Amino acid sequence: MNHILKFNLNGEAVEVAVKSNEKLLDVLRDKLGAVSAKFGCGVAECGACTVLIDDLSVRSCITFAVEVEGKSVVTLEGLQADGPTKIQKAFIKHNAFQCGFCAPGFIMSATELISKNPSPNEEEMRHALAGNLCRCTGYQNIVDAMNEVAEDNKGGVK
Amino acid sequence: MDNFRYIKPSTVDEAISSKREYGKKANFLLGGTDLFIAMDKGVITPEVVIDLKGIKTLKYLEEKDGAIFIGAAVTWTELIESEIIKKMVPALWEAADLVASVGVRNTATLVGNLCNAVPSLESGAPLYVRDAVVFLEGKDGKREVSVKDFFTGVKRTVLKDDELMTGLKIPVVKEFGEVYIKMGRYEGEDLAQAGVSVFVDKNNNYKISLSAVAVTPVRATKAEDFLKGKKLTDELAAEAAELALEAIAPISDIRSSKEYRIHMCRIMVKRGLIASVSRMETGVPALSTRLI
Amino acid sequence: MKENLKVVGHDAVRLDIVEKVLGAAEYTDDIAFGPNLLHMAILGSPYAHAEILSIDTSEAKKLPGVKAVITGEDYPEKFGLYLKDKSIFPVDRVRQVGEQVAGVVATSYEIARNATKLIKVEYKELPVILDPYDSIAEGAILIHPDLGNYVIEPWLEAQPGTNIGHLRRIRKGDIDKGFAEAETIVEGEYHIPHVAHTCIETHISVSKFSLDGRLTMWNSTQSPHTQRNIMAVALGMNHKDVRVIAPPIGGGFGGKAGISMEVMAAAGAKSCPGHPVKLRWTREEEFYNSSQRTGLRNKVKIGFKKNGKIIAFKHEMFWDVGASAEYGSNVVNATGFSATGPYYIPNVYIDSKACYTNNPTCSAYRGFGYSEFSFGIESTMDKAAKIMGIDAVELRRINAIKEGEGVAYDVPMNPNGLIECIDKVAEEIGWGIEEKSDDPNKIIAKGFASVWKAPAMPANESSSAFIKFSEDGSINVMVSGMELGQGLLTVMGKIAAEVLGLTLDKVRVELPDTDRNPYEWQTVASHVTWSCGNAVKRAAIDARDKILDIVQRAHFIDKSQLYLEDNGVKCTTQDSFYIPFSDFVITGIQTEHNTWVGGPILGSGMFMPEYTNAMVDPKTGLGGHPMVHYTVGAGAVKVEIDKETGRMKVLKMAEAFDLGKAINPDLSKDQINGGFVQGLGTAMWEQCIFDEKGKMLNDGFTDYKIPTIVDVPRDMNPILVEVPQPDGPYGARGHSEHTMIPVMPAIANAVANGLSVRIVDVPVTAEKIAMRMNDPKYKEEM
Repeated sequence: MNHILKFNLNGEAVEVAVKSNEKLLDVLRDKLGAVSAKFGCGVAECGACTVLIDDLSVRSCITFAVEVEGKSVVTLEGLQADGPTKIQKAFIKHNAFQCGFCAPGFIMSATELISKNPSPNEEEMRHALAGNLCRCTGYQNIVDAMNEVAEDNKGGVK
Repeated sequence: MDNFRYIKPSTVDEAISSKREYGKKANFLLGGTDLFIAMDKGVITPEVVIDLKGIKTLKYLEEKDGAIFIGAAVTWTELIESEIIKKMVPALWEAADLVASVGVRNTATLVGNLCNAVPSLESGAPLYVRDAVVFLEGKDGKREVSVKDFFTGVKRTVLKDDELMTGLKIPVVKEFGEVYIKMGRYEGEDLAQAGVSVFVDKNNNYKISLSAVAVTPVRATKAEDFLKGKKLTDELAAEAAELALEAIAPISDIRSSKEYRIHMCRIMVKRGLIASVSRMETGVPALSTRLI
Repeated sequence: MKENLKVVGHDAVRLDIVEKVLGAAEYTDDIAFGPNLLHMAILGSPYAHAEILSIDTSEAKKLPGVKAVITGEDYPEKFGLYLKDKSIFPVDRVRQVGEQVAGVVATSYEIARNATKLIKVEYKELPVILDPYDSIAEGAILIHPDLGNYVIEPWLEAQPGTNIGHLRRIRKGDIDKGFAEAETIVEGEYHIPHVAHTCIETHISVSKFSLDGRLTMWNSTQSPHTQRNIMAVALGMNHKDVRVIAPPIGGGFGGKAGISMEVMAAAGAKSCPGHPVKLRWTREEEFYNSSQRTGLRNKVKIGFKKNGKIIAFKHEMFWDVGASAEYGSNVVNATGFSATGPYYIPNVYIDSKACYTNNPTCSAYRGFGYSEFSFGIESTMDKAAKIMGIDAVELRRINAIKEGEGVAYDVPMNPNGLIECIDKVAEEIGWGIEEKSDDPNKIIAKGFASVWKAPAMPANESSSAFIKFSEDGSINVMVSGMELGQGLLTVMGKIAAEVLGLTLDKVRVELPDTDRNPYEWQTVASHVTWSCGNAVKRAAIDARDKILDIVQRAHFIDKSQLYLEDNGVKCTTQDSFYIPFSDFVITGIQTEHNTWVGGPILGSGMFMPEYTNAMVDPKTGLGGHPMVHYTVGAGAVKVEIDKETGRMKVLKMAEAFDLGKAINPDLSKDQINGGFVQGLGTAMWEQCIFDEKGKMLNDGFTDYKIPTIVDVPRDMNPILVEVPQPDGPYGARGHSEHTMIPVMPAIANAVANGLSVRIVDVPVTAEKIAMRMNDPKYKEEM
């Protein structure tokens, strides 16, 4: 079955022809050029394909493209439309990644977390990011960067 | 995977009539986390996928008439973020918080978890100890089934071809303590190798359920009867844990040996009992504390 | 003279972090190849060992959209890095589950994959060997009956007529006399299973034969030049006509060293000239068809004098290299030379055997065999310490090898800070201080290990570099060392910046492209900081010499008075003299006669160790100089274990390595943290599990558990020690792989120290701890 899929991608209305069985990850990457979301496992276990759908982090590798009809999808490309976010700046400062392949997924998950809980404590933060696998870093610099964001947001509340 | 017909009904009736039309060729889609992977691997090859996410009436989570009602479209994340669940069904909250990862919990649903009916499901044990009731709806009308009667085997349930689970209800209780403990290989995402829920009320009624250690979740009724009316001591907890093992029939697989599952169930029931009583007495549910 | 370093030795933000955090890094699969792109899928063998009787591809070829079907009939030749025992597509038999039997190129991946299902293959099953002990047993079926006919490096010792792909022996001193003189002899037998690299980016190659016959490959690779060489030789092409481009890579860890699936992509592309052909492994294929880490069964026997000094050491290693030893044979070789650990031992007996099995092929994996053998040595050392009543850390100090003492192959040890590493780790972890858990169900224990590792390389491995200046005085550094995440770009950039007096923002280091960047052997062996770094330093010196020469000629100042600083040239005798590079590195300097001196500045540099010699006596392993140097270090963990459940949490880690000189200390510490956690995975959870037919039962993250952010210690303590390497750039030597090595034994030693249970087979799971805790078979006296 073929569809003309309409949704909002990174703030812009898009229209794209898809079949029912096409995966959101493939449509984003191959048809819409949003290649920041990565293929890592194909079964929602590594988090490399994470995108935001209506502000919630979702595994685009196990989402049918047709499921996002009328919804708003944000990938890393859209997140930084106004320049690097606070989270991205902290990740840069702390050398948070090594090979970098998991970075877009981590940033999307971290973005969702901070939007819901601006100053998570370290264990809350680790719990929220536990679905994103990184093989390089041992996670320490990711934690350091996120702790800095959380600390900074605390200051913002005062 | 092959192409399929995708339909997104806006009412339960439409969904049921589509299911009746296509029968076994059609599958319902909710969060889709299980369905998608099964289709991608070619395990199931539906010609029609009926996406239930367009049915607004399936999205409810409320307390009324002495029960908590949870609609089929409610995701794990919505359960975790619900104060009702956190306060009134803390064991389910704990289970929800241990399902997969945030990115999955944002779309996957409790009802989908029940309908998928794999032995390792997180939701079984916490619902068993609360005697939850599920709502099924099909061409012949609606029926309510106790969650304990819902599962018939591995990936098998009483659901008929044209039926869908529209939601469930959990009776409200007062002055109780309950826990869910999951055995995984590590703290990161893992499928449960065993799950234990324990419930206790102020009259010393105990309910114990174990999952992933038999083809369906089970209640350890012998242990429950043994404890009934008794004030828990460490010794009683240990004895009850031993009795609880009579209810299970775990297997050995690559995740754990049968012997270690039994060993762990003994510990989990014992610690679960002690923690439930402690939670009831202190009134402070120790949510998310890892008891193993 | 102490160098006053401006860039080297100081922390900096990685040169590649911005592009990675902004999603600007274009990994191979992110590159747009246009509508001409074709996709490839592979048919894998369902059997671990079987003869191929026939392959019928006719139905697959008929499927609309299919462009080509390739089998071993098209490519009967064998290939491999050190031992050419691997088939592009096998002709006669398959030797592991998943081995590619045929490939299909089609207009979409879906069509290609569907077409593979239409290929009919008739097999005749053969007996399956899954354990190295079975591999070397009398009467075992030969997995490679043609071993004697394979092309092989001259320093490898294949044993035709057996399943042993390579045998490395060390016979130093008199082993029998040594044990006769020993007052305490301690033995142990250990097992390490296969584990997988699990880079988050799976292997991918996009290959294209242009219509005029050039081959271009975009590969996720650690080895662009090695791949070019193998492709050019295999295809009978000129090297200049094969181009390998290495876009950013999503993890390597040795798994993308050498060549594996890329040959299949090239084979697919050859059938479809003018089309780029993409082959990308699924996660399952990544487990089966890239490579895994060697499994090991080993027996360690150590003889001690009363004072704790090791007098004799016997180590028999039976490596499970899987179906091919093309690369794994070098793991066996390198460990054969080094499997004493970082100790001085007068009498050494080592047998290191590459045993073919029908498990997935093994090759390089971070640590290159040292993790596997160190588990047995360091476990045995701890046992021995208890038996002799010597503190476990002290026992390691007593035996720590010093500069000038002979290693196993009797070449003097390089300068090193092993004792300093041991002491710093012991202090950080609180060695000797007893700690109690707040939870009565739990105990707290500590475990220690010290380790070493040398780069494993052919004797004549080499690196080279170009540096070119641009108008604004910025530079592009062209190397073919690969950024794997370890920080190569930053390290190379800093070395160039240091020599050239540049600030780091003026430096860009390019990823490899064999057409543009000069030769590098491979990015493996933790050797590029040292080897490629030397080449970059020499290239920078070459460019500096040209700059000084121009300024001398234009300004009549003697070179000896000129130096480079602040992105320009300064003079030691005239404080006010300063010419920014942007004034002249392209345009030259205008003379008083309005003529010009100079030209575009560029530098080139090359490096090869000229003292190495792999041609040892095969009977003794002596007489050569097979390794360039060892990097030493130590690691320790503090764990909390639940006495009932066996569940263990690592609370704290400390690791110290002597890296000679930290070019960028922060990044070096990152390597320790990352390597520790990768080691933690192999120590506690990771293992490839096979059924009796060789099928892998956990070929996905559902059941192959790698550490997540909640499973790692909250207290990580990386420590850097700097005893300079005489021939390293600024004294540096590599240390990225080493960081994994102490973890498995440190964990097992902590468990033994806390609960008196000795786990001799990793991973050290909660189940093993709980179920063996009260089993006398595993009891280790305190």
